[in-house]
Amino acid sequence: MKKLLAILLAALMLVSIVGFRPVQAEGDNILKVGGSGYDGIFNAILSSNIYDGYVCDLIFEPLIKLNEEGEFIPNLATWEVSEDHKTYTFTLKDGITFSDGSPMTAEDVEFTFRTMAAPEYNGPRGYAVSEMEGYNEFHEGETEEFSGIKVIDEKTISFTFVTAAVPNIANLNFGILSKEYYSYENWEEFEAKNDAPMGSGPMLLEEFMPKEHILLYTNESYWDAERIPKIDGILINEVSEDALLPALESGSIDIGQPQTKLENLQELEKMGTVTPITFLGNGYTFMCFECTTPPFNDKRVRQACLYALDRKEFIKAEYKSEDLASVGMAPISPVSWAFPEEGLNPYDFDLEKAGQLLDEAGWEMGNDGFRYKDGEKLAVKWLVYTESTWTQTLSSMAADTWKQVGIDLTIELMDFNTVAELTMDAPVEDKPNNFDIYTMGFSLDVDPDLKGALFDADAYSAGGFDASGYRNDKVQELIEKGRTTFDQEERKAIYAELATILNDEVATTIVAYRNELWAVNKRVVDMPINTYLKWTAYIHDCSIVNPED
Amino acid sequence: MRYYVIRRLLQMIPVFLGIMFILFVLLELAPGGPQNMLMDPKMTPQQKAELAERYGVNKPFYEKFVNWIADAAVGNFGNSITHHKPVINVIRQFIGATFMLSSLALVIGVLIGIPCGVVSATKQYSRTDYALTIFSLVGVSIPAFFFGLLLLKVFAVDLKWFPLFGLRDPLLRKASEWKKFLDVAHHLVLPATVLGLSQAATFMRYTRSAMLEVIRQDYVRTAKAKGLRQKTVIYKHAFRNAMIPIITLLGFSIPGLISGALMTETVFSLPGLGKLSFEAVNQRNYPLILGINAILAIVTLLAALIADLLYAAADPRIKYD
Repeated sequence: MKKLLAILLAALMLVSIVGFRPVQAEGDNILKVGGSGYDGIFNAILSSNIYDGYVCDLIFEPLIKLNEEGEFIPNLATWEVSEDHKTYTFTLKDGITFSDGSPMTAEDVEFTFRTMAAPEYNGPRGYAVSEMEGYNEFHEGETEEFSGIKVIDEKTISFTFVTAAVPNIANLNFGILSKEYYSYENWEEFEAKNDAPMGSGPMLLEEFMPKEHILLYTNESYWDAERIPKIDGILINEVSEDALLPALESGSIDIGQPQTKLENLQELEKMGTVTPITFLGNGYTFMCFECTTPPFNDKRVRQACLYALDRKEFIKAEYKSEDLASVGMAPISPVSWAFPEEGLNPYDFDLEKAGQLLDEAGWEMGNDGFRYKDGEKLAVKWLVYTESTWTQTLSSMAADTWKQVGIDLTIELMDFNTVAELTMDAPVEDKPNNFDIYTMGFSLDVDPDLKGALFDADAYSAGGFDASGYRNDKVQELIEKGRTTFDQEERKAIYAELATILNDEVATTIVAYRNELWAVNKRVVDMPINTYLKWTAYIHDCSIVNPED
Repeated sequence: MRYYVIRRLLQMIPVFLGIMFILFVLLELAPGGPQNMLMDPKMTPQQKAELAERYGVNKPFYEKFVNWIADAAVGNFGNSITHHKPVINVIRQFIGATFMLSSLALVIGVLIGIPCGVVSATKQYSRTDYALTIFSLVGVSIPAFFFGLLLLKVFAVDLKWFPLFGLRDPLLRKASEWKKFLDVAHHLVLPATVLGLSQAATFMRYTRSAMLEVIRQDYVRTAKAKGLRQKTVIYKHAFRNAMIPIITLLGFSIPGLISGALMTETVFSLPGLGKLSFEAVNQRNYPLILGINAILAIVTLLAALIADLLYAAADPRIKYD
């Protein structure tokens, strides 16, 4: 027994020796970022989540970029638009080189976009090129020629789209790959280079350990000598949600994005060593009604459901603060120039009004406290996924208040993938049976264009994003008009009208606009993260000032 | 003995095929598909359908199964969809950390659990016994994520003895191998403690009950009556006979060495197979799910065989031929 105790003590001592060993880290001038979700697809045209996207933003550079107002400005190239608004001609700046020293030419740009259209391409960016001229012929492998992309000379290239539309320009915002480095005999060869990316950007990938860390060093031979980052590199650490705040507090990481919650914001403010940043995220959460069958084929029932749902209370319950989220009204982010200033109904909580609307719609209160119409009970099925909490909070609040107006709500819990399968991905004939309501989050593009998204009846199909089944020719006309009108004031009027109709019809409702919450250690200066520009956009300008200095 | 092993190995083939078949049926029944996770708000239904086609999601069930078996037979487990890499390479990247963590935890579990179990049984109803029983009860019932967070709070946040996350300090990459080794050890102390103590609790409970049963046997009393030392009676005569259930438990723990510990890995931000397979299921990354489970199935089958062989070593009455 004594022996055992001695061994245990010895083990304990060994552990504490290891434990007390101070960790020395080289490189105080390295920016440390914490987070999770990195899959390691470091290729500008293959990456499929925002985290890998951050790394791609550092290694690759696109032709154009966003400014703080969310407008596109020249990055690697300046551009001109043809009179019919269909052709964009880009001229590369002088002296751009990839990190291996080779110059970037129009052929590299062509290679990048051709690859996205190639038959063997298996990434998520096909849409960026599929609206260009000659895409189908090239994608089907009928011809080697992609007529929509033309190299004019070493520095000039043009892209021609089938139809003129404002949002087309956003399709050209992808990092440029080196043709020499990335050209491939077979697709596996191309994919294999995800681990060893090579671009023209300010950072070089030094080491990637899956689910551990990503280490990037500054590209000291970056082509624009004046914009070489002042930091030595970036270390992106995999940090779980639970450890994020302590890691920020201890300075193990400089930048992190904790969950948008009041207690997190307060804790960050308390730390003193970090600056919390919150801003409206460019996205929203939505609630979709199945509009082809009763009860939700009647607009009044949909409106009644909204009146009977206290979304202000929901925001308080879920985000604990009205500053971190707001009630959604239009499918346009409130930061956008296109957001209508007035004329939208916030559907303030009003059970009486909800009851009236249901009465008008012919749903009469029965003896059991539920409403009936033609012997049919007002019963609805809401699909809720369990990966995030807000859908559960919202639906359980609805279960309570809707019951008071006589709606029998059944909440079905499942995983995200199943909700998608039953709603957006289901064949049109199955959708009405699969759900009455479902809720999800959606990210927005900078442009207010709605084509192909949640509110476009043409996207009502198996795999399309609109699962409501609601169709209104006026809406379709306005969506089309909005994207093909090039005058911003005119567009603003179009989107105001569109938002008003959608806000009244509520086939799909925006539940809330949410803020993002970020934290930046005070030793990092010039890192004003905002809605349109993430931390990666400030890598050229930011610097690290260590307190000892 | 040799024939027994060969026979058992051959029997594994149909069992393995059966396991994979059940897995295929389960995956077939699960709604959704990998194309959903690659969703970009701008993708058209045609493009989504095209991707699904490329991943072979829509092929008939038997075709997928037969193809997979045929490919796996020659060591080809396909490509992981979210990683754009061969499944084997992805697993190889994650198996190291999981193996290190789990084997360390298993060693802690065995080294603490078994001796404590023996002590607790020999001193039944003593204060030591009660203390150890309470410890094991707590160890079995405390959830890993809670215990992990507690340790993080005390030892990483407040005392700052241990790092908050990860498996190593990436900025030490130019340091000596010994330093790197110490660094990894430093990172693994807390997670291995969490995982190890909960295993120790289980081992202790098994050992205690097995020992209690054996201690009451006549041959133990005989040994005592012969005037043998207490230690010899307990460890030579009693413990050896109590080993059968412990070996079974050890056998069951071997697959755990590579299956990963989702909660512990998540709390301590470790790159392990537990997290990888959880993500694979959420993303419907079929090739990766199949690859991980195939390896797990093989290891489980082998571990069962090893446990059976160890029975014979522990108990001469058990013979295989």
